[in-house]
Amino acid sequence: MPASFLDRESTVAPPGYNRFLVPPAALAVHLSIGQAYAFSTFNLPLTKLIGITHSAPADWKLTDVTWTFSIAIAILGLSAAVFGRWVERVGPRRSMFASALCFSGGFLVAAVGIHLHQLWLLYLGYGVLGGCGLGIGYISPVSTLIKWFPDRPGMATGMAIMGFGGGALIAAPLSVMLMKHFETAVSNGVVETFVTMGVIYFMYMMIGVYSVRVPAADWKPAGWVAPVKPPPLVTQGQVAVDVAWRTPQFWLLWGVLCMNVTAGIGVLGQASPMIQEIFTGRVTAITAASFVGLISLFNMGGRIIWASVSDYIGRRNTYMVFFGLGILLYASVPTLGHMGSIPLFVAAFAIILSMYGGGFATIPAYLRDIFGTLHVGAIHGRLLTAWAVAGVLGPMLMSYIREYQINNGVPKAQAYSVTMYIMCGLLFIGFLCNLAMRAVSERHYYRAAAPAA
Amino acid sequence: MKARFIVLWLAVGLPLAWGVMKTLQNALKLFQ
Repeated sequence: MPASFLDRESTVAPPGYNRFLVPPAALAVHLSIGQAYAFSTFNLPLTKLIGITHSAPADWKLTDVTWTFSIAIAILGLSAAVFGRWVERVGPRRSMFASALCFSGGFLVAAVGIHLHQLWLLYLGYGVLGGCGLGIGYISPVSTLIKWFPDRPGMATGMAIMGFGGGALIAAPLSVMLMKHFETAVSNGVVETFVTMGVIYFMYMMIGVYSVRVPAADWKPAGWVAPVKPPPLVTQGQVAVDVAWRTPQFWLLWGVLCMNVTAGIGVLGQASPMIQEIFTGRVTAITAASFVGLISLFNMGGRIIWASVSDYIGRRNTYMVFFGLGILLYASVPTLGHMGSIPLFVAAFAIILSMYGGGFATIPAYLRDIFGTLHVGAIHGRLLTAWAVAGVLGPMLMSYIREYQINNGVPKAQAYSVTMYIMCGLLFIGFLCNLAMRAVSERHYYRAAAPAA
Repeated sequence: MKARFIVLWLAVGLPLAWGVMKTLQNALKLFQ
């Protein structure tokens, strides 16, 4: 039977194929699904669907609406774990196509839910279906890029995962523009915006589906030879996903990712109220939004920069910098707040968020170093459950500790100090996990012949 | 191959550059 367009066999690149044609395919998918980080632009409009200019009593509550994003992120982690092996088996084109169907379909189902004012349809559409699109799309290009760039795996995956950060920078102004365009006297334009974005993202993700290629099994970059003596921690064998997740190395990396993300996501979620409360009277809601935009930019830039740096200084050293420098910066935040220095405060968080993004982008290459390329996408998928846990843990820690402090008479401007020290503690746990990392034992190596690329 | 290279990188680069520009425009308000 001839291979269909979506089959892995149809995506094998011909000899002489320029490998730099592959990152844009990955970016097309990640720039689309990165929209999830900008979902908050819909939060307030979704609470005014009936009242249009204000929230009517029958309108959804903000707390109901914000669950949509949490569900989507939780499903991202779960679907990446569940579908990881399938993504490895069917290859990047079919999995990117599935991701596009789920992600765009999620927008359309959610639009029906908004039109009918049925909250469960919004959760099912954007949260569950869209979340599956996020999870599958997130991991689909990772192992392909690692195979195309054996000489610079950090830079390659960093480029794709940078797209996930960059997606929010595009989606936020795009959503606002579309809602404004579709706004009428009887509608705030959210339904039409969801339908339009579903269609736009489907078409844009097709760029990735059509242009993605996998290298031939015996392909190597011209002039590149694998090092005879690989650096410490870099395996020469391959570890299958079902074995990998039972090794201590997997759980140490899980701890590394979870701690790095918990600290960063807690700050990201509270960035706007935090800067307003620490610098009361000096930072308005509008300038706080600028602060959020600025640190999002560093979140994106950190992904490509830190992941590329890790190709030179090593993955473990890169995370040592994240945790070591992170502890210093988090610990300095209360002092910077007392000093009243907005530029230094912003600079500290810009670096912190660059390392948050860098943590996401460097982890696939770290996994490749430890477990090899055989099932790196599937192992990455399972590791992303750490993200799902951190996505709940980080914001919860930040908001509950802040509330507890305020309820006990601590002024709002100082309510974040204890939280920052707790974040230092989390980063220290991550530091220890990273310090304990050792090369995987040879008894875990995969013995059968590795499948074709 | 060269045209394909340019088209693909423009397809991802232009929206990203637009997003970065919009974010920077807003971020400037922080220091004004």
